[in-house]
Amino acid sequence: MNSFQSQFYDNFIKDNRYMYLVKGFGTTLLLTSFAVLIGIALGFLVAIIRSTHDKTGKLKFPNLICSLYLTVIRGTPAVVQLLIMFYVVFASYNNSIVVAILTFGINSGAYVAEIIRSGIMSIDNGQFEAGRSLGFSYPQTMLYIIMPQAFKNVLPALANEFIVLLKETSICGYIGLMDLTRGGDIIRSRTYEPFMPLIAVALIYLTLVVVLSNLVRKLERRLRTSER
Amino acid sequence: MNDNVLFEVKGLCQSFGGCNLVLDHIDTTIKKGEVVVIIGPSGSGKSTFLRSLNLLEVPTGGTILFEGNDITDKKTDINKYRQKIGMVFQHFNLFPHKTILGNMTLAPIKLLGKSKEEAEKQAMELLERVGLADKANAYPSQLSGGQKQRIAIVRALCMNPDVLLFDEPTSALDPEMVGEVLEVMKDLAKQGMTMLVVTHEMGFAKEVGSRVLFIDDGKIVEENTPAELFEHPKSERLQSFLAKVL
Repeated sequence: MNSFQSQFYDNFIKDNRYMYLVKGFGTTLLLTSFAVLIGIALGFLVAIIRSTHDKTGKLKFPNLICSLYLTVIRGTPAVVQLLIMFYVVFASYNNSIVVAILTFGINSGAYVAEIIRSGIMSIDNGQFEAGRSLGFSYPQTMLYIIMPQAFKNVLPALANEFIVLLKETSICGYIGLMDLTRGGDIIRSRTYEPFMPLIAVALIYLTLVVVLSNLVRKLERRLRTSER
Repeated sequence: MNDNVLFEVKGLCQSFGGCNLVLDHIDTTIKKGEVVVIIGPSGSGKSTFLRSLNLLEVPTGGTILFEGNDITDKKTDINKYRQKIGMVFQHFNLFPHKTILGNMTLAPIKLLGKSKEEAEKQAMELLERVGLADKANAYPSQLSGGQKQRIAIVRALCMNPDVLLFDEPTSALDPEMVGEVLEVMKDLAKQGMTMLVVTHEMGFAKEVGSRVLFIDDGKIVEENTPAELFEHPKSERLQSFLAKVL
């Protein structure tokens, strides 16, 4: 027990080492939140372009660009995308946190797009026709009738994607960012005791994911009221 | 141009995939206040004809004049006209994420610029009329098929349309719920609503139809008053059709 206490002291209290975890946690949250926002915006845009193309045959050229985007992003590892963004695309730009946010946002957008598109395509065509027959335009029908239903259907998949994204940000140490994972790893390299810092990192991720999942479950239940 | 004419259909053609004509040069005129019942075997094009009247199916040829305006013209803003052309579907197509009141007030609020109170007042009046006022705050999934279809009808009425199109409104219903929906439709007909009804309910056609169109193979084979058409069918095709369904 004594050794546990001294290990704990060495790893977290001494030299304020817990601050590596606190700061890292902050970076992880910041990175994830902004990446989620970009991912949602990009995902919605791409999903609407793609499903409009699927349904009406319009928007051929934008659809082509979207397909290319999906293929490239989903066909390459996120680490590679991060490295290319940092060392090639933004080689002369040194703010690695912005680069990381952009990379993860663009990466997540591809997955979000396909999730939302599947949600749109899962809505019965009769809903479109009902909306259009009342006099709603295509965008209005999307906004008032299709999207609310599609969103509800894909909420679990969407939540899952953001949980994956949260964990995926742990690779940002590759471009020198100090996130939660990197913070724990720095402690390990100082104390030569891998067990405590790494388990602590894992527990923090786990707690975060459990809390998020619960929030989503609550939201899901609220949205389901119409299906009692 | 006669003020009484609502739809004037000239040479309407529709083909899917280019090979065979689903609608083959349909010509007809629908006057205000008429209840036109469209019958015919399945696959004859009767639903396609109805759906092309509000451009849910875009015709490949011919013109449709609605109140004197060519709605097949690319420059026409079809959304404006659709507000005046109500439609009731076989599968109701109520919005499952909205309450009954929400279903009925969405379009009037967003498209006609009505206030929420105004739209809800009108919706409640209509719900009273079809005897479903107690369902105002229910969701569609809590309703029976017959109730859903009655809601679908009043949802269309909330836009104060000039005409209502019914696409087999009772075909997806349990037999014992057909009556309640037909009652509402008869009521509307009595009040002078212009209606086009694709249906297999020959009783309804006889009772409230002012005219019956028999469509087969994309053409209007025969049209007449219900009494004449059912009692003295002229074409052989109609005779054999009626022999099977009556």
